[in-house]
Amino acid sequence: MRKYSTLLFSVLFVSASLFAQETSKKEHQQGHTDQNKFRQLKDVLATPNDQRTASGAPGHAYTQQKVDYVMNLHLDEAANKLYGEEDITYHNNSRDHLEYLWLQLDQNVRAPDSKSPLAESKKASAFQTPTKFVAENMDKPKDFGFKIEAVKYADGRDLPHTINRTMMRINLPKPLAPGEIFKFKIKWNYLINNSVEDGGRSGFELFPDGNKNYTIAQFFPRLCVYDNVEGWQNMQFWGRSEWALEFGDYDVKITVPEDHILDATGVLQNEKDVLTKEQRNRWAKARKSFKNPVFIVSQKEAEENEKRGTKKTKTWHFKANQVRDFAFASSRKYIWDAMAVNINGKTVMAVSLYPKEGNPLWEEHSTRVVANTLEEYSKMTFDYPYPKAISVHAKRQGMEYPMISFNYGRPNPDGTYSDRVKNGMIGVITHEIGHNFFPMIVNSDERQWTWMDEGLNSFVEILAELDYDPNFNTGNLPKDIVRYMSLDQSKLSPIMSQGDYVHNFGPNAYTKPAAGLYMLRQTIMGPELFDYAFRTYSKRWMFKHPTPADFFRTMEDASGMDLDWFWRGWFYTTDYTDIGIKEVKPLYVTNKPNEETKKLQAQYPSYFAKLGKLVYLTTDKEDADKSEVAAYINSLPKEKKANLKELPQYIYEVEFEKPGGLVMPIIVEITYADGTKERQTFPAQIWKKNEHQVFRVFTSSKEIKSFVVDPDLETADIDTSNNSWPKQTTNKFDAFKNKAKN
Amino acid sequence: MKKVFIILLVLPLLSFTLHKYYVALTEIEYREDTQSVQMIMNVFMDDIELAINKDYNTNLQIASKNQLSNIDDYFYKYLQQHFKVIINDQETSYKFIGKEYDGDIIYFYLEIENIETPTSIEIQNDILIEHFPDQQNLVKATVNKKRKSLFLSSSNGKGLLKF
Repeated sequence: MRKYSTLLFSVLFVSASLFAQETSKKEHQQGHTDQNKFRQLKDVLATPNDQRTASGAPGHAYTQQKVDYVMNLHLDEAANKLYGEEDITYHNNSRDHLEYLWLQLDQNVRAPDSKSPLAESKKASAFQTPTKFVAENMDKPKDFGFKIEAVKYADGRDLPHTINRTMMRINLPKPLAPGEIFKFKIKWNYLINNSVEDGGRSGFELFPDGNKNYTIAQFFPRLCVYDNVEGWQNMQFWGRSEWALEFGDYDVKITVPEDHILDATGVLQNEKDVLTKEQRNRWAKARKSFKNPVFIVSQKEAEENEKRGTKKTKTWHFKANQVRDFAFASSRKYIWDAMAVNINGKTVMAVSLYPKEGNPLWEEHSTRVVANTLEEYSKMTFDYPYPKAISVHAKRQGMEYPMISFNYGRPNPDGTYSDRVKNGMIGVITHEIGHNFFPMIVNSDERQWTWMDEGLNSFVEILAELDYDPNFNTGNLPKDIVRYMSLDQSKLSPIMSQGDYVHNFGPNAYTKPAAGLYMLRQTIMGPELFDYAFRTYSKRWMFKHPTPADFFRTMEDASGMDLDWFWRGWFYTTDYTDIGIKEVKPLYVTNKPNEETKKLQAQYPSYFAKLGKLVYLTTDKEDADKSEVAAYINSLPKEKKANLKELPQYIYEVEFEKPGGLVMPIIVEITYADGTKERQTFPAQIWKKNEHQVFRVFTSSKEIKSFVVDPDLETADIDTSNNSWPKQTTNKFDAFKNKAKN
Repeated sequence: MKKVFIILLVLPLLSFTLHKYYVALTEIEYREDTQSVQMIMNVFMDDIELAINKDYNTNLQIASKNQLSNIDDYFYKYLQQHFKVIINDQETSYKFIGKEYDGDIIYFYLEIENIETPTSIEIQNDILIEHFPDQQNLVKATVNKKRKSLFLSSSNGKGLLKF
């Protein structure tokens, strides 16, 4: 019996692979190294060692330093100055001898002799308001910056030190040995900036009635990180890239005007000294109130209080363990509310501080958003380990510290507010409270890699916001980063860049990594594999210092998915996604060979003789003839016939093109003539041998009306005009115009 | 008045999620079937509101309950002053088909009619530049399957595309 071969693609495939093509004479080509998009990241990532393993976990010899602070602070409201004394205990847990210690002096970024303004390229302005003209050309610089009054050994002798702008080196007379502890003291003061007028992540806001809201941070000389990646992370603070900080225990006493309401990082130690009996009762109530916030200080009380003013003082005492920083907010204008949040059986307090200018928006949303953020982030990473999280209202601020954050969102004076203001507030509170997880606890080096906290945080923020409001416009989805990724290359930097020289810093370090992780979760890995790996990373590096390699390695190691192609493309390059359909050939089963096949058959008669009767495909609908193959199928044994799928009525060969540099999965949505749709996804590895052109064949019993690549805009495709077959004749413009007419 | 410029100073120093970049994208497509040039421009709502409020001494209150009823007139006026399209060496006028809000972005739909064969399109675009010197205005145009782009900024406010 003659065998019927059912090599459906024989015409196209055979000619390519089995028969040598005549090659024209080629010029000598240059050789190349492995440039395939799927090559592993071994050329870029640091070699694993016994402190950071190849699986992305802390190694058996991992160490980190610890720094404890005991502080006494005094806020001089009249002069807007903060006076401080700190006793620092530095634990050298490394195996190295340290000749010196480095501390950060962040306030010096705005000192009169700061180099930060000098490092900005500045052109003349053709027009300015008179205020701005005077401010830029005639104002004398304000006396900002740390005034270091004393640096001493614990026993009171002076300790030699050298200041290099925003960094201070303690010149140890004898190296600090591994395992040794070094204690020393610093006394300092500084002029607090008006954050609304002078800028900055902390400072005070002045109100028309003379009252000030103080949101105080970066207020003390504090230790730099020492590790086996940077040595001392003592890169200058120029103003943009943030901080690398060590964990430690803080014991802080803050003296402020007696009528101020104050909250800070840590647990209040002397409630009886600073709170009234009524306030303590309300706290007790709040600690049991899981459904609604409880006012500790109501708006009415705050409005009364802000009229006061006093020369007397009060000292608030806080203790915080295993935190990397300290901040506080203090004002006589504050309304204070709090509610309890159940984090897997443990009670955590969600707290808000805001002046009446924040209402009615703040009393309705702030504390609830804090609670939602703690719940959602805990699900994605680990149970929030600190006792509380505070959201403080501050004009035009959005900044994070352990257990406390400063957030914007102010209604109009008449109490009205737009959706934009409300959603902006919900977004910033979610984001800043979320920072407790990244970098306050998963403590990455922000000076070097902004994205490790901003990007990861912005990603989890998406999920938290959608939980608070499913219609929330997060602005961090793959489709939202398309515009940025289409920019001129001179304005683009890879995510893996140090932040100080990057253009378009926001999309570079926040949105693009967030969108990439969202894509990884929703499209490439799927939530189950992604969430397990992400949680593994978070738990491995909780209260430790991870690097990008640790993140990249953990995500692969814990999921079983090779992601190096993704990390390399999305994080290390400025390539973009552009995948489309070049051509679709509808094909029909026929019993006649086409011209090309006839030529091959004439060239290789004995090969074709061996193949026997063949099934042919043609692009000509008129030549369609299934009779022979149908007869063959009919001749098959009954069991085999019963096990077969339907004979395809329609066959389409689709050629995909990839004008963009990134490799991505190909998501195809097929629409049939009867209106039904189906999805098929081809993994990114489809591009492994040819990253410009791949083919797939689709068969079906129903006619296919259209193919659309990435219909839900999941891959940040910057040009969707080549994503459809047939090419779309109506576009977004027409759709809008028609809608506008009706 | 002072507040306008303060925003520029304050924004770069914070750690929040507000867009910290200034990019507007205009997509232009020539439609042979209707002989028209269709343009969709997207800009950040906050930025254009600030620019228009300042330039025309008004308070648009975009996307709020108190949004000005004649807000489209302001948009159209601002666009006409800062976005010009010259086709085949002739200045054209475009119709304001409408606008759409999407989160913190506004999409403007503009159309130029009766264009037979556009061989050259010159764009003059200084949208938002006066108030936001870092603004980048990206223009992508497609004519008869040919695609070209322009990157306009404060140092370069106009460009010519040939098809």
